[in-house]
Amino acid sequence: MSEIAALIVDDSSVMRKIVERALRQAGLAITEVYEASSGVEALDVLRQKRVDLVLSDINMPNMDGLEFLRQMRAQQLAPDVPVVMITTEGSEDHVREAIVAGAQGYIRKPFTAEQVKERVLPLVGA
Amino acid sequence: MGLAVKQTEPVSAYGKAMDEAVDEVFRLMMGVSCESMEDCPIDEPETISAVIGLAGAMSGVCVLRSGEQSAMRMATALTGIEMASLDATVKDAIGEICNMVAGAWKGKLSTLASSCMLSTPTVVTGTNYQLHTQRPEFRMEHYYRFGGHNFSVTLVCESMQ
Repeated sequence: MSEIAALIVDDSSVMRKIVERALRQAGLAITEVYEASSGVEALDVLRQKRVDLVLSDINMPNMDGLEFLRQMRAQQLAPDVPVVMITTEGSEDHVREAIVAGAQGYIRKPFTAEQVKERVLPLVGA
Repeated sequence: MGLAVKQTEPVSAYGKAMDEAVDEVFRLMMGVSCESMEDCPIDEPETISAVIGLAGAMSGVCVLRSGEQSAMRMATALTGIEMASLDATVKDAIGEICNMVAGAWKGKLSTLASSCMLSTPTVVTGTNYQLHTQRPEFRMEHYYRFGGHNFSVTLVCESMQ
């Protein structure tokens, strides 16, 4: 399995750590984890760092996850990098909105490590 | 409890969905179970409340309230890190638990899943405080016991659209 640098975007530092733990439990060879607490911070990270995977919450202050995703795609930041939304908003409308904005995956909170494995591993070729 | 008349799902469905949401969050995210209780007052002087605002099809708040010990146990279970005080990590964790409970709850109700939005969490700590809402359309409070301590989840509906 190739090594992966991941960007985790969530306004909760606790949730960022939980997502990181779930990625490791899923068996991903994570070499680097970058954290951002808002969409604005996440865009800054993408301008400076190379990442292989982005996992983002939706409901955040100072640019939510959907707007971050739209900006990321519009600015061609990491254009080929898969983005997975991890959020409490799990309705079909929200999933559709995220896919239209450019997300490749969607995980609803609460989640299990197994769900993270099923949704994320195929996206990173693992 | 005053009952709302505009919703298409009965208040009993709201209560059942709340119990299921709490169970789901504790089981999936913490690997533990918590017991639903008829009544269990929070008997610790220091309390913490996480508040999630609801807007759209339902306006109101979802409040998770617990004592200090219960909050630290929940945060420990969520993070896997032993918590010794009611610090920023515990407050963050309780806010996220409330956020997940509110999200899982509305996701189980077809009239709210897509049309009710959640705010980010606000967390309040202190002693002997009450949260007031003027003229709620209805209010529902459910009690749970986890790790020998009690906590409650309250749904206050101000209006339905």
